Amino acid sequence: MKRILPFIIILVVLGAALTSAWYLTRTIPASPNPPVNQPVNQPAASPGSAQASPAESQNPAVTGVPGAEPAHVHGPANAPVKLEEFGDFECPPCGIFHPILKQMEEEFGDKLQVTFREFPLVPTHQHALPAASAAEAAGLQGKFWEMHHMIYDNQNNWKKEFDVRPIFEGYAKQIGLDVERFKRDVGSDAVALRIMQDGKRGHSLGVKGTPTVFINGREVPFENLPAEKLRVVIQNELRSAGQ
Amino acid sequence: MKKLYALTAVLSLLGIADALYLTIEHVTGQTVRCTILSGCSEVLSSQYAVVAGFPLAAIGAAAYFAVFSLATLAVFGYTIAGKLLTPLVVAMFFVSVWLFYLQAFVIRQFCQYCLFSAAITTCLLVIVVSLRWFRPAKH
Repeated sequence: MKRILPFIIILVVLGAALTSAWYLTRTIPASPNPPVNQPVNQPAASPGSAQASPAESQNPAVTGVPGAEPAHVHGPANAPVKLEEFGDFECPPCGIFHPILKQMEEEFGDKLQVTFREFPLVPTHQHALPAASAAEAAGLQGKFWEMHHMIYDNQNNWKKEFDVRPIFEGYAKQIGLDVERFKRDVGSDAVALRIMQDGKRGHSLGVKGTPTVFINGREVPFENLPAEKLRVVIQNELRSAGQ
Repeated sequence: MKKLYALTAVLSLLGIADALYLTIEHVTGQTVRCTILSGCSEVLSSQYAVVAGFPLAAIGAAAYFAVFSLATLAVFGYTIAGKLLTPLVVAMFFVSVWLFYLQAFVIRQFCQYCLFSAAITTCLLVIVVSLRWFRPAKH
């Protein structure tokens, strides 16, 4: 018996590991990160992946301290669904979430209002702060969203570079900013203050990572950020608002 | 000796759990959210996370399972298993060093799960080296 026992232990551990792996691969929800070569706006294949649990999307509403004012808002003020994203321009899941959010804005139109809050993860992402500063500096010239889109759309082109300033200055030129003013604004106190205020708001809401999304003041669980689940969460909110 | 082999088996179980978690993250396409302390998104989505079409984490899980099996057999007196353990753990340690280098100087991000695995492998190396050096003399 003693000679067989180690083999029994090994087989039990192997069985437990394989069973756990099988169970977890079936229960872990699809993430906003689709498999390589799959368009990001296509639902990732996963059993029951479109079932955004109402209970999960109904975290208690929170308010927190105010962020930078005026906030970067896209969509009508009277929209029944107000989405607030805390993002980091260098974070890969944020880059993947970006087209998903654009898709939601297209689908829901005037019923959805989107607010973007800066939450650069320093020091994890070395270019997150310069990227946030570039977007905020563009905002001072009224072109925050143009720079926001430009930075996210080209995330893979600049994130590995050593010096990103000339790249962002190039983007500033492309979207028609006064580049000299942009260069001054990037390092200004006004820009730094806005980023700090957004960060303070994030911390007051318990934000610890990015992307973190709140809809009508309630945090949307990370696993509900793929397009097909986020759509259900927004539809649930619209239903609650009687729309 | 037996206690050290048992400790090796327990540590390799932790390694299996860690590598299995990373494998599932990889297979399901789940990307860990970016946080202040973790660069897992960057590491797990890098080109180095796949070797010959297999998730590196799955290869790691298999290696830890091999260590567990050999250590368990060694506890029960299979001496050949104890001998095979040393080259396997040494090879795993060198792979861990290489992966640490990739995280530090190429990807320039650290994933805590990968660091945990490297720590386990380092502990395993210390144990198997101890087993080699402090083997009781034959009479």
